[in-house]
Amino acid sequence: MEDKFDCIIVGAGVAGLAAAMTLARQNMKFLLIERGEFPGSKNVSGGVLWGTDLHRLVPEYWKEDAGWERYIQHRRLTFMDEQSAFSIDFKSSHFQEPPYTGVVVLRSRFDRWLAEKVQEAIDASDYAMDSFIATDILVEDLVHDEHGQVVGIRAGEEEFHAHCVILAEGVNNLLTRKAGLQEAYVPADHMLTGVKEIIRFDQAVLEDRFQLHGNSGMSNEFIGYATNGVEGGGFLYTNRDTISIGLVLGLKDLREKNQKPYDILNHFKTHPAIADMIRGGEVVEYSAHVVSSGDNRVMPKKLSKGGLMVCGEAANLLLNAGKAIQGMDYAMRSGILAAEQAVASKASGDFGESAMKGYEKALNDSYIMKDIRNFQDAVHLLHDPVMTSKMPNLICDFGRNFFSIKNQPTKKSRAMLHDSIQKHASYWDLLKLGARGAKAL
Amino acid sequence: MSSSSQPVKTLSLPEKLGLVSYRNQSKSEIKPHIRVKTEICNSTCPHQCTTYVCPANCYTKDDLGKVHFQVEDCIECGTCMYACDQGAVSWEFPDPEIGRGVTWNFG
Ligand SMILES: Cc1cc2nc3c(=O)[nH]c(=O)nc-3n(C[C@H](O)[C@H](O)[C@H](O)COP(=O)(O)OP(=O)(O)OC[C@H]3O[C@@H](n4cnc5c(N)ncnc54)[C@H](O)[C@@H]3O)c2cc1C
Ligand code: SF4
Ligand code: SF4
Repeated sequence: MEDKFDCIIVGAGVAGLAAAMTLARQNMKFLLIERGEFPGSKNVSGGVLWGTDLHRLVPEYWKEDAGWERYIQHRRLTFMDEQSAFSIDFKSSHFQEPPYTGVVVLRSRFDRWLAEKVQEAIDASDYAMDSFIATDILVEDLVHDEHGQVVGIRAGEEEFHAHCVILAEGVNNLLTRKAGLQEAYVPADHMLTGVKEIIRFDQAVLEDRFQLHGNSGMSNEFIGYATNGVEGGGFLYTNRDTISIGLVLGLKDLREKNQKPYDILNHFKTHPAIADMIRGGEVVEYSAHVVSSGDNRVMPKKLSKGGLMVCGEAANLLLNAGKAIQGMDYAMRSGILAAEQAVASKASGDFGESAMKGYEKALNDSYIMKDIRNFQDAVHLLHDPVMTSKMPNLICDFGRNFFSIKNQPTKKSRAMLHDSIQKHASYWDLLKLGARGAKAL
Repeated sequence: MSSSSQPVKTLSLPEKLGLVSYRNQSKSEIKPHIRVKTEICNSTCPHQCTTYVCPANCYTKDDLGKVHFQVEDCIECGTCMYACDQGAVSWEFPDPEIGRGVTWNFG
């Protein structure tokens, strides 16, 4: 069939664009479909894109002053109680050399830029006139052949056909559910709602305040008071002349505790440590999006079937073990792996169920599934009530004593720690937490 | 006081939503992408949680405690699809031509 594509990708987020770039480079004829006005227009992230895969997709991307906001040179993890902030802070010139350990991105800009790079790769391929990035089209269903193999998609009245389909539709994975790979109703138990604001500054003020130079940037995660007793955490990332500040909140806990996400965000911003960081800024965007917890209990049963592969957060590939949220790098790598399977399948002429399983195998052998498996305990620990208040309160209480100088005899740190533990938790709590923490990390 | 020492203004939810770029705003008739069986909300739902977990306050309670749903401010986050465990929410993505939904400037 003349107008049959080698592959159709649904969704031009990080996963879909990574898949598309891989296909374009391998001379495949494909169609990438996005429902938004332009790639990125529907997407919300924190967001730091961790790791070095971006360099694989767009070699030496750092030479271009576009697409990304700042590279991470400075990292901070902060425990908060009502009045205090106790941080683990790490800044290093090790992080200053490309390929960077992570870059902060704003998705409406980043995805759009990456899509331009994909278009350049299409233009340089044999299918310059036959591969497309199509926006403003909502894919409503998959098309199957008489053997149940996926052979295309349907959008409105139109059908498009392909040897295989890659679903890169994100966490709200309606088509993955329609394909029978996940239950139609996914409960709130292991999902979070992210709420976020973009706050704009004069760039010089921002750089001074966060001690940045050139395109260096900072990432800060928060545990404790930030979420007002709801499971989850906070984040603050520096962009060029804005910051991204937000929360991810356990949806079940939010439901049980009767709280409104935007109220908690406002409350977070009034914390003295935060208020000082965002002083003088102007809020220019408010956004929200669901994010998975990375608990593998919400993973689809299978990530492929005949003619179909699921990647990115549609496959629930995410890890939030406290020190960072990893969703975009997983999306990127899984998109690359799915596309590589499509290329291999074209060579062998086999797009059947067992061929598509090759993608699941590659994913299983990659760092993604290794980390998701290894850090499940850390994911559970982060969602333990002890972590939302007792632990941060205890740490801040200890910090206050440790850093106070009172012209009185000072207790030894051990005794101070003992006092803080007595006040906020028990040794039993700590013992349990310590044992779980040691196992988890 | 220089402007960089002013505290950030705390925005109310309507002010926050005022910053959102919605699609097809000029169209008076849009096709709603979420449908809610409010008869469930107003009879058997034990928590009516969507009235507080929705980040855009699309689910509201009137003076009589009756739940209503308005799709216009929806920012397509997905929250209500998971939060409603009563089977009252049928959730789709907005139609690019005749639906509402968002275009993020930053994202
Ligand atoms: C508040 C918040 C903070 C986060 N912070 C971080 C962070 O710091 N670092 C990190 O790595 N991750 C972070 N994440 C997670 C990360 O954003 C996601 O894991 C990542 O965006 C997943 O990428 P994706 O390509 O799989 O899906 P998405 O980015 O969601 O892209 C899916 C695309 O598919 C399109 N689409 C969906 N259905 C259809 C359809 N039927 N037809 C056509 N198009 C369709 C959508 O419009 C969208 O463009 C955060 C998430 C949130 C909400
Ligand atoms: S949780 Fe479901 S049933 Fe209850 S009020 Fe919300 S939408 Fe209605
Ligand atoms: S998708 Fe999000 S913004 Fe829209 S109605 Fe549901 S909870 Fe509210």
